[in-house]
Formats: sequence, structure tokens, C-alpha cells
Amino acid sequence: MSDQPKQTTYWKSLNELAQNKEYEKFVQREFPEDATELTDQVSRRSFLRVMGASIALAGFASCRKPVQKIMPYSRQPEDMVQGVPLFYATSMPFQDTVTGLVVENNDGRPTKLEGNNEHPSSGGGTNIYNQGAILNLYDPDRSHSPKRNGENVSLSDFISFSAEHFSNRDQRVLFISEATSSPTQNRLKQQALRTFTNAEWVTYEPFSENNAVEGTQLAFGQRLRTVNHYGQADVIVALDDDFVSPHRHQNSVENAYRVSANRKVTSVDDTMSRIYSIENNFTATGSYADHRLRLKTSEIEGFTYALASRLSESVNGLSAYNGIENEFSDHEWVNTLAEDLLSNRGSSVVSIGKEYKPAAQAAVAAINLALGNNGNTVTYHELPYRENRDENQAFSDAVREMQNGAVDTVVLIGTNPVFTAPADLNFAEALENTGTKVHLSDYFDETSRNCDWHVNHAHFLEMWGDGLSYTGQRSVIQPQILPLYDGLSEIEFINTIITGEESTGYDLVRETWQSYYPSDFDSQWERILHDGIEPDSGFGDVNVSLAADFDSAIQPELSYEPVSGIEITIKPDSTLFDGRFANNGWLQELPDPMTKISWDNVAMMSPKTAESLGINPERSFSSREVPVVRISGGNSTIEIAAWVLPGHADDSITLTTGYGRRNIGRIADGVGVDTYPLRTTSAMLYQPGEVSTTGQSYDIACVQDHHSLEGRDMIRSASLEGYKEHPDFATYKNVHGYEVPGMEEAREEGNEHGPISLFTETYGSYDDQPQWGMSIDLNSCFGCGVCTIACQAENNIPVIGKREVSRRRIMHWIRIDRYFEGDEDNPGAYHQPVPCMHCELAPCEQVCPVAATTHSEDGVNQMTYNRCIGTRYCQNNCPFKVRRFNFFNYSKEFVATGDDPEIIQMAMNPDVTVRFRGVIEKCTYCAQRLNRGKINAKIATGSRKPVDGAVQTACQQACPSNAITFGDITDQDSVISQDKRNERSYVLLEEMNVRPRTSYMAKIRNSNPELVSPPDLPSH
Amino acid sequence: MSQIFPKWADEAPKRILIGVIIFLNAAIFGVWYFFSPEFTDVGYAPEQPVPFSHQVHAGQLGMDCQYCHTQVTESRYANIPATQTCMNCHNQILTDSENLEPIRDSWETGEPIEWVRVHMLPDFAYFNHAAHVSVGVGCESCHGRIDRMEVVQQAEPLSMGWCLDCHREPEKHVRPVEEVTTMGYTEENQLEVGLDLVAKHNINAPTYCQSCHY
Repeated sequence: MSDQPKQTTYWKSLNELAQNKEYEKFVQREFPEDATELTDQVSRRSFLRVMGASIALAGFASCRKPVQKIMPYSRQPEDMVQGVPLFYATSMPFQDTVTGLVVENNDGRPTKLEGNNEHPSSGGGTNIYNQGAILNLYDPDRSHSPKRNGENVSLSDFISFSAEHFSNRDQRVLFISEATSSPTQNRLKQQALRTFTNAEWVTYEPFSENNAVEGTQLAFGQRLRTVNHYGQADVIVALDDDFVSPHRHQNSVENAYRVSANRKVTSVDDTMSRIYSIENNFTATGSYADHRLRLKTSEIEGFTYALASRLSESVNGLSAYNGIENEFSDHEWVNTLAEDLLSNRGSSVVSIGKEYKPAAQAAVAAINLALGNNGNTVTYHELPYRENRDENQAFSDAVREMQNGAVDTVVLIGTNPVFTAPADLNFAEALENTGTKVHLSDYFDETSRNCDWHVNHAHFLEMWGDGLSYTGQRSVIQPQILPLYDGLSEIEFINTIITGEESTGYDLVRETWQSYYPSDFDSQWERILHDGIEPDSGFGDVNVSLAADFDSAIQPELSYEPVSGIEITIKPDSTLFDGRFANNGWLQELPDPMTKISWDNVAMMSPKTAESLGINPERSFSSREVPVVRISGGNSTIEIAAWVLPGHADDSITLTTGYGRRNIGRIADGVGVDTYPLRTTSAMLYQPGEVSTTGQSYDIACVQDHHSLEGRDMIRSASLEGYKEHPDFATYKNVHGYEVPGMEEAREEGNEHGPISLFTETYGSYDDQPQWGMSIDLNSCFGCGVCTIACQAENNIPVIGKREVSRRRIMHWIRIDRYFEGDEDNPGAYHQPVPCMHCELAPCEQVCPVAATTHSEDGVNQMTYNRCIGTRYCQNNCPFKVRRFNFFNYSKEFVATGDDPEIIQMAMNPDVTVRFRGVIEKCTYCAQRLNRGKINAKIATGSRKPVDGAVQTACQQACPSNAITFGDITDQDSVISQDKRNERSYVLLEEMNVRPRTSYMAKIRNSNPELVSPPDLPSH
Repeated sequence: MSQIFPKWADEAPKRILIGVIIFLNAAIFGVWYFFSPEFTDVGYAPEQPVPFSHQVHAGQLGMDCQYCHTQVTESRYANIPATQTCMNCHNQILTDSENLEPIRDSWETGEPIEWVRVHMLPDFAYFNHAAHVSVGVGCESCHGRIDRMEVVQQAEPLSMGWCLDCHREPEKHVRPVEEVTTMGYTEENQLEVGLDLVAKHNINAPTYCQSCHY
């Protein structure tokens, strides 16, 4: 270490990097100039109508307190204790997997979803879609009833229609369903295909696993699911495989907890895996990886072949790639990766994004086989429900048949192809040429509008069902509440079509499960309902070997040509996925992990590409507007806001799907731009395109410079080697070169706890109470945002809408700051969740004129809404900028103008106050959970301190990678105490002597010394 | 020169000042007294759909509070019993009483009886029955002599200051846990016994904001 410690520069935006005047002006203001003015009544109201919520009292007639009624049961249900939540296991289907969940029910209303510890796809963690699902359940815009030609009809009308229409068993019926792993749905599918003699069943997902499965067909001659065990690998090469993000990988939660468990460094003796990420746009995996290479999407395939070619020199089984020469053959990454992979044979994983073409998938499968990874870090499994064919091809063929008018009846089960199908298939036209169209969906959506019959779909929290985890363990989906709008589940819908009679999902699921438990069914069934999963089930491993004719069969597929000019890449959106979560306010408002944009999709590009298009990479702050570009590819053109993302590959533009919905609901409508018109069967992932500026500009709500801490040292990181050399690299002294001011004087006075302070020390005065503390391990954080959504669900945090967000009013109690580091073209990236620090000497408490924010005996910085008069002094004085102000009465607006206010109220946590206008709010460490834990401990054992682990905050519980630990710091054996003692532990702004209770653990990157490639990592 | 103001005008400012002072004092006293829960809430005794008499059940018959309020030791709420609980006895006793008509209706139709809530805390205040009864805060301490009430009425103001009276000095109010439901409990050496109980149950009644407000 040199005498003068090297200070790494972390920055949030290009403006900050350039330190221009406008930026300085922007961040110095707590709020922009118009933050306190209400200039946009109309749009604000329309958002407020949908979100925020309130507790409506029984009546406002009396000027005394309103009269409240208590309505006890007539017959008391067993186990129901009013005021004590009940928890039931269920699972959330998403494409053809399910994630095990435990649902908190308050008085019969599901209010919060948690991960199921027993379920391998969850491991106790969740993703943003799981957490957001609760708001979808109470979405007032969900379809309320079946419709015939757009007119509301009753369910019995649909049943009698089915009985009559589907009595003709010989008609040409085409079923198009979403991907599903449900054994019951699969059983009914077989039954339907037997019943209708002339039927066809295709599965359509806009972002499916199909290419990955086709890849194994090419490589091994079998259609299999590839399961990469990232947690068991020492070296991971992710070729645009964003395996920790739910929008790119179905099993992201399991991947996240397994891979992060292998990277938790608690002492210098620990090792961690090494991740290389090769990608065009900046993904969460890329930011988490130890090394990142940016390549155009169209170059990834060539890179894969070059890597295979290099490996073929050393291992058997890759002869097909021997001698391939392309522009990557001499790339330093190819050499380095080959070397690292060869020295980790059997304990490495090479993976590629599921969207890439089958030949590239086959190359990756062959590489893993050749490296001996199969059976160790990579396993293959047969999917029992999957047809042995190319599903994308089958879908295209089916749509062409519809175009030709050869289909009598099409039954669409939960999918929305008019919006999502490749543009060249022209699905809407195909529907016109089809006889009878029946559609089951959550919303009266684009496809429903083109169908004769629409049947409203029940939410998964309202229905019976089943499904398989990513690795095949069976789970039951059990309803938590009766359908709010009388919807049907998929299996009830299909069964109605087959039999023409009404049926219950309960009977259908039980019928399927009878075959799994021929004897003693009822007790087995009860066990499944309780545990949520059958652990003794799963897909068997398939032993694979390279197909006999692999070398010759693969040759014609190897022709590879990258896009020479600008390429357009289309990927699912990080929060809305393919559009199915578009009407979810929580997910719409959640900033994207990398761009930090809320409420819109943009065309992401690198600073260099932007400059070549004549776009200034530095945004203008005064207008919040960004230039709009016109993007043409194939036969379509769209206009979309351009966004400069440092670290994006040059000459590549990434678009995301799911936006630009019309007439779906109040949240989704008119937000962002529909990018599906650019997506065609021949260009599902990327295509050459033309981009030009339009001269117009567009408002974007981006939070990346909001709540900025202006370049102070927030992130501390080191390479693994640097850490082993200097385990104390993260201490204040080693970062700044001098000790925290005042520490020496304090030591002289015999106080080791912190520097001398003007304020009264509180620490140590309440040892008879638990003293809460939190630690956030930056080494485990991917920036996914699930903590933010879990917090929003737990703490009744309102959604405020795009315009409010752009005025820096975003209400999230835990924000995730994303920092870049190094060169603007190819930076490293870090994510830092920032909740309230609960400072022991809190600056906010010292300025509140009415003592609305004070300190509790358990060491929590508490906020008392009823005392708050809205001066916002505390917000101004908070160095971490974690306090949020209710500029408007979000809740009351909603009650006054909403047309179905009671529905969203049902989503609210009854233990947390819904805040009103003019008060500050902020992270409470989930005070309701702390108090529940303390009361339960007191009643059960008489102790004032709950045992370690009994109290979990919502963010901690939701985090799939266990980045957040929480507990009592007076308990020396607690996990939190161990984390706080760890040498990587540090607190923010230590020189201010505010003594935060929330601390961080410094980031470690396991960089490869061979690879002198950016991000250039600090040596200590 | 004639005077513009009559003689009594000299007195006017003084009188106005005195008048204003009296008025302000009266106003402050008025708000302090008449707007306080002590005045507005104590004695609130709304009419219930069924004229259930605690005096008969808890007083004369001596039924324990927990015969009906079963969940008080496990939940934040001391539940109002289900119709089923009433029917335990009233399918045998007073089976044709007119007053019990709503009970029988509820039992037959499954519809709930709409009891009017008497003890209302604001929504921003969290209160947990289980936490209190498990350490020996008697029902009577907050709800008064229920066994003497023909119609239940609010006996205490349930204001924050009133809560804090006990939270600051729990030893003056706690009783042995087995006496929690006793009505008319008295203890001569309350302070001494109270201090013992506080130590025995490790009582630490919190007084910081977030113990009740979040």
C-alpha cells in the first residue's frame, strides 16, 4: 500500500463524473424548484386514483368519533384469532416454474408474500414479481366478468356457450396457452386432445426457454432443460446470461441465493467464485460479476465459438469448433477464460442467455460437456410436459393456419399474442380469419378485444392449482381468498371447455394428485398443503452425450455474422417483463436496477454511440427531458427516448418490452413505448437497425441523481487478493489515510464506542432492551430492488406517479443507489441499498421543533406521524437523504376519487399507519415486526429480548441473496454482531460521528490478475 | 373644544383587555376540559343491537371475562365472542326471549351481529391486549367495573396521558396474573406487591413513541 491511499472514484451519472455546473446546482437543492407546487393536477389525480390507500371509517356523519361496528363470526372458524395473522403455503406460477411462497393473511385478506424456506426455488427469498403479486390481486382494473363481444355477461352464459359450442368434437380447435408446469393442466391438455379429435395445442411465450431446449436437441439429440448450478461453480462464464434477474431467468431466486452463498467472504481464509459476464447492456449479473466484457449481442455467438475453438485445443469433444477463426480468436478474454476454465474442469459453468439461437446454446452445452461440468455444475432434465418439437415453430405454423382460415375455434389460455407475438405473424389479422375466439386473461387486453369471448382469469392467490419448481419438485397452489371478481383458473377454464360443466379447481387438482399418493391420500395431501412442496419429487437427471452426428450437423449452423452497423436488441423489461406486470404500480415505479428510470422504457446506448448520433451524453437537468430517437428495423419504426448508459456496448441499442399498453388499466395505459412491432420471427433477439434523432424530446423520471451524496465515500471495495493482503482495507483510516476525527480524544477519555461528541451518548443506557442494528453486505447485492418492493408492501408506501417521481418525491423507504466506477465507456458498477441509518446521534432528531422524531429505547430512530408538522427540517438535515415527505394526501385523494377504493385498501398492512399529507416518513426497521417480536418473546418466555432470527425486517426477509442481516447488537452471538465485527464492516460518513446503526460490508471482487481489463480494480 | 370621546371611553381599553383575557382563559379552559377524551369519551354508552347485560353475566352469574373474550391472551384484540358462544347457553336458556331474537337470527343465517364498538383507540395507536393481561394489567384497570354495567360504557379516557400514567409507574397498577379478570380487586400494600410483580414479570412498560405509534 502506498503512503497516500488511492481513492477510487464512484459516480452515479455522467454529469457527476464531469462535475458540471448544472449537476452541482441540481444536487445541492433538496428538491427542484417546483417541488412544492402542484402544477399538474390532472395527471397527478389519475395516478392517485389508483394507488395510495386509506382506511375508510364507517361513517363521517357524527361530529364525535365515527361509530365503528364489530362483527364477530356467527360460528368461529378454527385457528382464526382476530389480530393475529395466519400464514399459509402456496406457490406462484411464472412461465413453466413455480416459486414457493408463504402468504400472510390478516383477517382473511392476503397482505404480504414471503418466500418458503422449504422450497428450492425460493429458499426463503423472493423476487420483485412475487412481492408485486399482492398488488395485482387487488388491482381494480382486472377484468371483473366474462364478456361476449365486449359486453359483460355472466359466467353461466359462458358455461352454456361452452356446452353447446364445444359439443362439436370434430371441429378444428387450436389451443394456445402460456408455458405452464402444472401437472393438472397437462392432464387436462391430454384429455382435451383426446376429446377433440382434430385439435392442436401450442405453447407460446414471448420470452421462452425454447432456444435453450432446441440447443440440447442439437447437441445431445434430446430436448432437455439445462440447470446450471451456479452456486457450486468456482468459475462462471455468463454469456449474456443474467441469471440473477427474474426477467431473464426463471430460477433467479435460487440462482441468487446459491451463487451469493458461494461468495460470502467472512474471513481472509474464505474463497469465492469468479464470475465473468459478457453482455451488451449492463445487467445485474454484469454489475455483480468480477469481470465484465461488453460485446454487441450479435457478437456473443462469435465469441462463444472462438472460446469453443480455443478450448478444443486442450479438451476432447469440441472438434466441431476446431479451427474456427473469427475476430475474437485472438481476444485476450478468450485466452484468459480458456485458461481459467481449463484449470477448473468439473467446477465451472459456461452459460448463455436463453434467447440466443440454438447453435450457440449447443456450443455452450458442448463446452460444459467437454470440461467435465456435466453432473457437477450442470445437469440436464427432461420436462415431462413439453412437446418434443420446436415450440416457436409450432406457434408460427399455427398462426399461419389461422391466417388461412383453417381454424374453427381458437382457445387462448392466459396469453396475449396480439400484443406480444412477433410482428410479422400479424396475430390480430390471424384472429380475424378464425371462426370462434375464446380468451382467458387477467385484463380485458389487446387480445381479448379481438376475441368473441373473454373470460376473466382468477389470480393465483384466488385459485387451486399446482406446478413444478425449476428442478421439478411438485407444489400446490392453494387459494388464500375467494375470487374477488369470480374469475376462473386455467384448469377450471379448460375443464369447462371439455365438459361444458362448471367444476372446482380443488377437485381437479386433487384428482391429479391422487395418482401420486395412491394410499393414505388425505394425510399426504394435508402435508403438502402445509409444507407447500413435495420434497421427494423432481426431474431425474439425464445423462447426456454428444449426438453422434454432432460435428456434421452443427457445421451449417455455425455461419455467424455480427451486425456491422448499429444493432437493435430487444429484451424483456426488468420490471414489467413481457408486459404482464404493466398495470402494477409498484413495479412501474421501481427504478430499473441499472438506468434508475422509473415509469418508462428507453433506448439504451453507450456514450460513444450517443455521440455518433449527435446526442449529448450529459443530460440537461433543467428540463428533465431527453432526446427522442427514431428506430427502424424490419418494416417497423418506433420513436423512443434515448438513454445513455455507461458500460453499454458501442453500436448496440437495447430496447425493452411491455410498455405502450392501451386500454388495459389506469397504471399501464400510455406509459412508455411498445417495442414489439420491431420484433419478428427472424429477429427475436437482435437485428440491424437504423437510428436517427427526431429533434423532439421526452420527459423521463430518473432517480439516479436524486438523493445524491455527492461523491462522498459511500462504496468501499477491494479485490480478493487486496483483501487478503489488507483485511482492514475498509476502515476509515485506510480509506482516508487518517483516523476519524475525535476518536483519539475519545480514547483518552476512555470511550471506545465512538469519537467525542457534543451530544449525549445514548449507547449503553438501554442494555435491558434489544438494540437493533442492520448490516448490508455489498458483496451479495445485485440491485434487483426486491427489498424496495417488499418494504412498499409491508409499510403501505404509496405509488406517486411519474411526474411526482421526477420531482424527487419518490416515497421508497429503501432506495438502491447504483454507482459506476472508472472509465465512462466501460465502468464497473455497484449497488447500495440505503434505508434509514438509525443514527445513535441522529442529526434529524436535533432539528425537529416538535419532537416528532426521537430515539427509542431499542435504538431506533422513530418517526411519530401525529406530531409531525411538516417543517422538513429533518429531511434537510439528514446526511443520508432517507426521509420522505408526503407532499400530497395520497391516501385521501384516493378515497375521494377512486371508484373502487375498498379493493386497494385490502392490500394494506393493518399494523402500519397510512400516512396523510404533510408528514415525513421513513424506514422504521419495520417497527410493527419489532414490537410483535418483542411482545411474543415477552409472553412466551418473559424475556425482553427476542431470540436471534425471530425478528426479520421485510427487506431482509425478501432478499434472495441474504445481503441484509438484522438483529440485536447487544447479543454477541447474533448474526448481526458477527457481521458488525467483520473487518469488511463500515459505516457511511463516519467522520460526521452520527453513529449509524445500519452498516455495510465492503464489496470484494475476485478479479483475475491475468486480465488487465477494466473495471480496473483498486489494489486495496 | 368639545370632547370627541365621552368620558367612559377612557375605561374602554382596560375593559376590553380584561374582557379579552377572560374570554381567552375561558376558551382555553373550555378546549382543555370539554375537548378532552375525559369529557368527550368517558361515559360513552351506545345502544347495542342486543341488550346484553354485563351486570347479569359477569356480575350476578359471576362468569369469567375469558369465557367469552377467549383470545385476549393471544391477540391484540379482546375478541367479541362469536354467536356460537351465546348459543352455548341460550339454546337452553331463555330460548324464546324477544331480546335474543337477533342472536337466534345470526345463528340460523350465519350473518354477524353488528355490535357497536365502545372502546375506540385512534388508528395510529397500537394497543395489544395480550401484552397487558399476560403481565397482570387487570381488565378492570382500563374498562372499569364491567360487572356493574347494565350497558357497557367507557370508564376511562383512553388518552395518551392516561396510558402514560400507568406506563411510567406500573407498580401502582399491576396485580397478580391470576387476578386479572377479578372485578373489585384491591391490595393494601399495592406499592410493595406491585414492585415485586414488576420485578417478577420483568415489566418494562415502554414510553417511547414507536412502542405504540408506527
